Amino acid sequence: MPQFSTHENVSLEKEVEVKRAIIQTNSDVIEEVYDIAKCVGWIRENGFQKVCLQFPDHLLPDSSEIALRLQNILGETVYILGDTAYESCCIDYVAAAHINADAIIHFGPTCFSKTSANVPYLNVNEKLPLNALVFGAALKDHFECIGTDFVVVLDDGYIHHYDDVCSVLQGLEVKKINEETLDLIDKNVIFIGNNQRKLMNIDLNFKPKTLHYFDPNQNPLAFKKFQVDSKIIKRRYFLMEKIRDANTLGIVIGTLGVENYLKVIDRVKKLAELCGKKYYLISVGKPTVAKLANIGEIDIYVMITCSMNEIYDSRDFYKPIVTPFDVEMALNPNTSDIKFTYDFNRYLNNLNDITSIARNENETDVSLLTGKLRSNRPDSISEEPDNKDLQMALKSDGSLALNTNFGAGYLSERSWKGLEQNLGQTEVKMAEEGRKGIAQGYTNEQI
Amino acid sequence: MVNFTVDEIRGMMDKKRNIRNMSVIAHVDHGKSTLTDSLVSKAGIIAGAKAGETRFTDTRKDEQERCITIKSTAISMYFELEDKDLVFITSPDQREKDGKGFLINLIDSPGHVDFSSEVTAALRVTDGALVVVDCVSGVCVQTETVLRQAIAERIKPILFMNKMDRALLELQLDSEELFQTFQRIVENVNVIIATYNDDSGPMGEVRVDPSKGSVGFGSGLHGWAFTLKQFAEMYAEKFKIDVVKLMNRLWGESFFNGKTKKWTKQKDADNKRSFCMYILDPIYKIFDAIMNYKKEEYEALIPKLGIQLKHEDKDKDGKQLLKVVMRTWLPAGEALLQMIAIHLPSPVTAQKYRMEMLYEGPHDDEAAIGIKTCDPNAPLMMYISKMVPTSDKGRFYAFGRVFSGKVATGQKARIMGPNYTPGKKEDLYEKAIQRTILMMGRYVEAIEDVPSGNICGLVGVDQFLVKTGTITTFKDAHNLKVMKFSVSPVVRVAVEPKNPADLPKLVEGLKRLAKSDPMVQCIIEESGEHIIAGAGELHLEICLKDLEDDHACIPIKKSDPVVSYRETVSEESDQMCLSKSPNKHNRLFMKAQPMPDGLAEDIDDGKVNPRDEFKARARYLGEKYDYDVTEARKIWCFGPDGTGPNILVDCTKGVQYLNEIKDSVVAGFQWATKEGVLSEENLRGVRFNIFDVTLHADAIHRGGGQIIPTTRRCLYACLLTAAPRLMEPVYQCEIQCPEVAVGGIYGVLNRRRGHVFEEMQVAGTPMFVVKAYLPVNESFGFTADLRSNTGGQAFPQCVFDHWQILPGDPLDAGTRPFAVVQETRKRKGLKEGLPDLQSYLDKL
Repeated sequence: MPQFSTHENVSLEKEVEVKRAIIQTNSDVIEEVYDIAKCVGWIRENGFQKVCLQFPDHLLPDSSEIALRLQNILGETVYILGDTAYESCCIDYVAAAHINADAIIHFGPTCFSKTSANVPYLNVNEKLPLNALVFGAALKDHFECIGTDFVVVLDDGYIHHYDDVCSVLQGLEVKKINEETLDLIDKNVIFIGNNQRKLMNIDLNFKPKTLHYFDPNQNPLAFKKFQVDSKIIKRRYFLMEKIRDANTLGIVIGTLGVENYLKVIDRVKKLAELCGKKYYLISVGKPTVAKLANIGEIDIYVMITCSMNEIYDSRDFYKPIVTPFDVEMALNPNTSDIKFTYDFNRYLNNLNDITSIARNENETDVSLLTGKLRSNRPDSISEEPDNKDLQMALKSDGSLALNTNFGAGYLSERSWKGLEQNLGQTEVKMAEEGRKGIAQGYTNEQI
Repeated sequence: MVNFTVDEIRGMMDKKRNIRNMSVIAHVDHGKSTLTDSLVSKAGIIAGAKAGETRFTDTRKDEQERCITIKSTAISMYFELEDKDLVFITSPDQREKDGKGFLINLIDSPGHVDFSSEVTAALRVTDGALVVVDCVSGVCVQTETVLRQAIAERIKPILFMNKMDRALLELQLDSEELFQTFQRIVENVNVIIATYNDDSGPMGEVRVDPSKGSVGFGSGLHGWAFTLKQFAEMYAEKFKIDVVKLMNRLWGESFFNGKTKKWTKQKDADNKRSFCMYILDPIYKIFDAIMNYKKEEYEALIPKLGIQLKHEDKDKDGKQLLKVVMRTWLPAGEALLQMIAIHLPSPVTAQKYRMEMLYEGPHDDEAAIGIKTCDPNAPLMMYISKMVPTSDKGRFYAFGRVFSGKVATGQKARIMGPNYTPGKKEDLYEKAIQRTILMMGRYVEAIEDVPSGNICGLVGVDQFLVKTGTITTFKDAHNLKVMKFSVSPVVRVAVEPKNPADLPKLVEGLKRLAKSDPMVQCIIEESGEHIIAGAGELHLEICLKDLEDDHACIPIKKSDPVVSYRETVSEESDQMCLSKSPNKHNRLFMKAQPMPDGLAEDIDDGKVNPRDEFKARARYLGEKYDYDVTEARKIWCFGPDGTGPNILVDCTKGVQYLNEIKDSVVAGFQWATKEGVLSEENLRGVRFNIFDVTLHADAIHRGGGQIIPTTRRCLYACLLTAAPRLMEPVYQCEIQCPEVAVGGIYGVLNRRRGHVFEEMQVAGTPMFVVKAYLPVNESFGFTADLRSNTGGQAFPQCVFDHWQILPGDPLDAGTRPFAVVQETRKRKGLKEGLPDLQSYLDKL
């Protein structure tokens, strides 16, 4: 049925957008780079039977080699998770559950998100090069006096240099990014790595006094001060106003792996309900512009996902995308003490339960986007159906206006109402041969 | 001042034929507020203690300090006509049989162009307008603007020539010259009236005519004024001619020969123009005698004119004496109030022809008939034209006019905002009116109810309206039409609190500001900046001050003023633009082209609009703009916001399923016209043509998700291939100055990319008027610059006029538009650089 499906070549030849350069590791060092021994030890120790290997896109070329080696050593089948449903930084336990896996080994960069999975997992970090001596010297050069409140934080790709860095920086606090208890409040933080989103999250979540970062891959080597782009924070005001204006929220599931994702969805639902807004819970796999533009009646999308997701900054979407934080701030008048963060786990547990939002029917509000009045009551006027057909109203020019305030009434505002038969209007013709194939490339098309 | 109790006033309100609702309109500094003062001191109601206070209607501190009116203010006056004057009122709708007392509700409005929205709001609730013209400066740009607005609202004008004292004392014009000046002004005003009014229309003839008494002369500052009626009455007995006949003889080409006692229509050696002889000469004589201290002469003259001076005034001399003499002889209040009562329409008269301009609904429903007959027993129809801040911060009085029925304290009414459409619930509230109040200058008084034809304030509806709205008790009522402003909010500043923690207060303040000013826009931009947009620098300055002092009460930081630009195209797309949907199954083929000159303005003015009947619209477009009529019938939509000055035209032939994607294409079009490709500014004057579409046979693959983003991409490609340009707003400036300063004006304008298109001398004066176009972006600090370059002698009035292409290619680095685009992108947090055509265009 070529009319209904895409040619297989499309999928095979499709260019995948890769954000990081693809890595193919020399087979001599694979053993070492991917900690094969450690993995084997971990599997044997726990006696796992079905183990899944999760790779980010840029490490996929190495995946088969690693799987082969593990199988040879372990004598059991290991599975590669070919495609990660949402973000490759989070443990994809849903994909692993397809084969009832009892363990996951996650390769590559990780995020801060705690996982909601109860499947055991092991992180194998990338091993990026870092010259600890050069770093130490540069640090001393750049900062005149290094006090005790200085902390060096290693990104996950540099964790294997932990000992080297510790020995070079005698007496200075050195932390790994994945430590359970990372306390950076009011510290002068030096971050080794260059992931801007991660830096932003560190700044927003841990509130260090200063945050500098050092990118070992950059030439010349330098320390740069990181500052949260004030535009991102400012844009929140716009988005919050947009949320207040919205009648219908779309809650998009962008993760199944981040801890408390159900809880935050409930929270958003509850806020929407209390504010008299409609909401739809939407699961579309990986959200794309095209998928989210399908539902025209949704005014704004709340994305429930990992804090490393870059979708929040995208401006290509037909309707804006906001974080659960924005919803909390926009709709709950009692939360003003939380600071902006992409990571809902940062504030979710500190929130008070809400049972009602004090909404005074007589309080109204002016929208700063449209200049129109925003009411607190969705439908307080009880228009008694006094034997009149309320679905119609007379307009001045004698035309009729449809009342579209009922259930799916909005659909009646669309111009297209269904297939047009044009009975009797279309000339009767003999059938003639038309185009073949699909719009993307008809087989008999002349180009 | 007369003192009345609220009950007495309430009694007058029922005599609807004896009510006159009027506004005072004029160019800035032509003396409206001063003139109003002389009326208030004569007839103002209540608050006797405050009588005589200067600039009574300037209620704000800054208004008093700057001597400029910022907000329009209403006052009520009571005036009784004498029997001999009552006969001048012939129409039975213009007076009650048993009453000679008139209730005059007067609204003093600002003259500065930046506040013209206040004038618009004042005109809406009144039926007549006193147009004040400074006889030294003549008819100015703002005179014309407000007069035009008045005519469009079917407001009947009467004219007052102010500042006669200056003409006599400063300009030393002789009487014939002064007559010529007066006549020229009357002509100018009548030309404007004739341009915008149809004499055969429902309002009838509205031109002003001194011989009918609808033109007054005098000096607001000195407190004297007259119409020909006053003089005709003085001379009627002497000549034994009927007052009305004499009035005709006292104006225009009418001459009197003192020797032969003959009236002629031609000037010859022995006769003299009657207006000069009988009206101006006595005034000149008094001026001459008093100002030149010819004591004997004026002591003889004064009793001759029937003037009795008070004892304490007898010792005065010079200007002081002149004022007293003139004021006693020709009291301004008397003349003006007579003019108002005789020549301005009562609500009964006015609402008959105003209803069709006011009401959006069918012209024969209960509300329409109630308005038409000004019936206090019909359902309530009231228009709220503005919000007036109360002493309680954040709360407002809703100020407006009752057109039909009665509005009462405690009454339950429907409050309908401008977005209300009958049958829907949007922008509709049903609430009780907490209190009805009378608003007079600085004072308010509670009143039980107010019947049709009157102006009043309401308490307790302010939360349900933003700026304007309709209040009614009639369930099927439609809205009263929203007002159309003559100015646009083209100047913007970004504001932020000095202390970031004050942000919530700022936001609250902005919302209050949005309510309190008829035109200001307070918005949050996509970038999160808080923007205030107003008509001009002065308007913004006042808004910011109000925001800081009254609405937000926090210190505020503001950015330099900026203008918003528009994106447009200058040629047709140089190629057919194709974009494929993400699934590659659907293709759109489109092109962009510039609209012909004038079409975008026609859309702005509503001459071409989405609600038109499509065939009539196509015919209009075909006739006026040479559009192909078949194509013009297939305009899919206007945008942005469904009404903007860009159109999408279906030029396809025989495409299957096309209607099915229409909604999606329209959505994409609205998106792309709101956020243009260059810097996400609105588009203007672009016509997009859809030439072809190929769609997937299966509906699921041609849904909104596939089509909306693709339409946007395709439209962006169209824009980029059609020589995109930026448009900037341009002011029309009118600058008045003496001849010596004209050179300085040219220098300043040249430096600011301005260009002069008219320069002329105001006839009969040494003043020059220079008219120029000046880009709004270059207008910041213009007033100050102009003053310093002309020794403070030039004063500009700038009003938004049109959009103009900013020369240069925005895609070409190094040009001015390129810099503007980059700056805007940076401000909005967009990727710097230029949009890449390749990311929007697909290949077959």
